[in-house]
Amino acid sequence: MLENSDGNLIDGQSSESEHLTNLAEPVICSMCLGILQFYHDNNGQLSVSKDGLNDLAASIAELVKQQGHQIDSFSLEVSVPSITLDNERVIMSYMNRKYGSQLFSQERSFSECICLKNALKSLITAPLEMLLGVKYGQGPLHIRLTYSESSKTIEKSVEREFDSTSKRRKTGNENGLETVELLNSGVGCITTGVGRTVVTDTSLNGLQHHQSSDFSKLLLEKVRRPCSFSFHCNRDPIYFGGRYLKFSRNVSQTCWMIDEERMGEASVEEIISSCILLMCRGDKYKFHAAGREDIDVRMLGSGRPFLVEIQNPRHIPSDVLVKDIEEKINSSRDKLVRVKNLKLVGSQGWTLMREGEAEKQKEYAALVWISRPLEDPDMLSISSVRDMCILQRTPIRVLHRRSPLDREKIIHWMKIERIADTSQYFILHLCTQAGTYIKEFVHGDLGRTHPSIGSILGCRAEILQLDVTDVKMDVF
Amino acid sequence: MLQVPMTDESAQASSMCTDSAAAQNGGSPTELKEVREVSGEDENKELRELLLPDVRNLPLAPPSAVEVNFVAYFAPDFMKPGHDHYVYRHPNGLCVVGLAPTHVAFRDEGGVTGVDFNVGKSDRSAIKVTGKRKKNAQHFESNTMLCKVCTKSDSYVVRCCVKGSLLEVNERLIKQPNLLNSSADREGYIAIIMPRPADWLKVKATLLGLEEYKRLKEQG
Repeated sequence: MLENSDGNLIDGQSSESEHLTNLAEPVICSMCLGILQFYHDNNGQLSVSKDGLNDLAASIAELVKQQGHQIDSFSLEVSVPSITLDNERVIMSYMNRKYGSQLFSQERSFSECICLKNALKSLITAPLEMLLGVKYGQGPLHIRLTYSESSKTIEKSVEREFDSTSKRRKTGNENGLETVELLNSGVGCITTGVGRTVVTDTSLNGLQHHQSSDFSKLLLEKVRRPCSFSFHCNRDPIYFGGRYLKFSRNVSQTCWMIDEERMGEASVEEIISSCILLMCRGDKYKFHAAGREDIDVRMLGSGRPFLVEIQNPRHIPSDVLVKDIEEKINSSRDKLVRVKNLKLVGSQGWTLMREGEAEKQKEYAALVWISRPLEDPDMLSISSVRDMCILQRTPIRVLHRRSPLDREKIIHWMKIERIADTSQYFILHLCTQAGTYIKEFVHGDLGRTHPSIGSILGCRAEILQLDVTDVKMDVF
Repeated sequence: MLQVPMTDESAQASSMCTDSAAAQNGGSPTELKEVREVSGEDENKELRELLLPDVRNLPLAPPSAVEVNFVAYFAPDFMKPGHDHYVYRHPNGLCVVGLAPTHVAFRDEGGVTGVDFNVGKSDRSAIKVTGKRKKNAQHFESNTMLCKVCTKSDSYVVRCCVKGSLLEVNERLIKQPNLLNSSADREGYIAIIMPRPADWLKVKATLLGLEEYKRLKEQG
C-alpha cells in the first residue's frame, strides 16, 4: 500500500502519475473522492490532466486576473463534502487499531497527520503565490474552493452498524444517499493541521469488528465520479464616507417603492452609491446615513454624514479618483444632490457614525404661516426659548407603523426671521434634539404635540416648507 | 448658529464687503483661516438665498395641515338626524373622527359644555394601546359609542362611523370641552381609528365627500 503525504492510503495509485492518463477510466480515490488527485467532474465529464495541481492554480489565477482584482494578499477557503471527513476518520481509526502498537507509529502518531483541507491548501498555496505574485495570508481577496458530491459519487449507500453505545444521526438525503455522521462513536482523535481537534470517546472495545468491516467496505466501494468543483473569489468590502446635501423636494433618501412604483423621482442613495459602485467595479452597495429627512425636506448647510459600502470591489480608487467621483456626482445636470468630503474610510466608519448619533442636535429652517399678523412680542417669546421641553405623541402620519408613545423632546433655541412684504409669514430657525418631529411642532398635530408654535403664539400655525440646515456631528 | 439679520439688502451687502476686505488684509498664517471664513460666508449666503421664498408665490392663507394631509369624508345624520360626523382619512389608513360643523350639538346655546368617554361597556379614555402592532386596541363597529357630548340642554352620542381598532381618544376634551366649540375639526377631534383595508372600502361607499356634503347641507 502506498501512503500519501497526508497518511492517506490509496490502493496502488498515486496522483499525478503518468500512467493514469493512459487508463480508459482513471481510478478515483475512495477517500478524497478525487480532490487530491485534481480530478474534476465538469457536468458529467471527467476532467483529468497530467498536471492537475498546476492547472487548477492556473485557472484560479486566470479568474483573479480576469476580474481585475487589485490585491496584496489572498486567503484560501476550502469546502469539502462531509463524507470525506467520515472517510478520514474511518481510516484513522483503522490505522490506529492495526498499527498503533507498532514501533513506527510510536515515533510518529497517526493523529498528527494533516487533514484533507489543509493538505489541499498546502499543495496549492505555493503555485498560487507564484502566479498571482502576492503572498498567502488573511485576505483581502478570498478564494473559495467548493467541492461537492456529484450525483453518482458512491455506488451504494454506506451502511455503518454500531452497537447501542454510539449515536447515529442522519444528515439528510443528499443525492438519494443517506449520509450518517458519527457522534460519540468512539472513533478516536483527529488533529488537523491548524490544531483544531475533534475529540470523541476513545473506547475501542466492541467496535473493532464493525470498524474493520467499515474499512473494507470503504476500500471495496467504487467511486464512479469525483466531486464536482467550483471556485470563486471575493474581495473584502471598502467604505466611503462623506456628507450629502439634497436640493430637491422630490427626492427620497433611500429607494422608496410602493407597489412596484417609485415614490419621488430619484433617491440620494442611488445617485451617490451607483456612481461609486461603477468606479470601483463592485458587485453591490450598501448605503447608510446618520438619520434621514422626509422626501419633501431639503438637506442643506453642512450636509448629512453618510457611509457607502462597496462589496467585492475590483478597483480601489486613489485619492485623485475619489475626488473625481465627487466631482462627477456634483456636476450632474439635475443638481439634485451634492456630495462633500468624500473619502475612503476603514471599517471603523460604522463605529464613527454610531458614536455621534445619540447626541446629535439638528438645525432647521421652516417657512411658517400664522393666522394673524406677526408682532414684536412674538419675536421675543420665540427667541427667549432655551432648552424647552415638549411632549410629542407619535405623529398621526407615522402612527400606523410606530408605537403610540409620548416622546419628550428638547427645543434648544429658536429665532424668527421676518420676510419682507409679508405679515403672516416668517422663517423659523430652530435647533432641536435628534428625533424631534418639526412639522408637528409647528402645526401641533391636532394638539398632540404640546407646546407647539401655535400654542406658544396663541394662534393657528401652518408649515409650508422645511429644510435641514445643519446636522451637528463630528464625522466626515 | 446661523446669523439672522433683518432682510435688508444693504445690510447683507455691507457685511459681505467687510469680510472680504479682512481676507485681503490678512497676513500669511491667518490667510488660510480667513479664506475659509470667506468661503464659509459664501456657503451661508447660498444657504440664505435658498431659504428665502419667492414672496409672490405665497398664498394669502395656505391650506391647513388637515387639508393637506387628510382626505375629508362626512357621515351626515349618523344613526340620528343632525348627528353629522366627519372622518378624515390619512393616506396611511388611519381615520380621525369628529363632529362636523353642522352637528346639532353646536346649535344649542352655549355650545358644548362637557365630554364623557365612559359610555357603553368601558371608559374609552382608559384604554392603553401599545406596540407597533397596536395590541389591546379594542375593535369597534361603526355604530359603537365613542363618547357623549353634553350641552346645557341636551346630550348627544358620538359614534365611530368606521369599523376598526380604536387607537386613541382625545382625552384633552375631558378637561377642555371648549375645544369642540373653537376647533372641532382640529384640536377638538374625538378619536383615531385604524380600519382594516377591506372594512374601509365598505364604509367609504357610505360616506360623502366634501363637495357632496356641502351641497347636502346647503339644501337645509
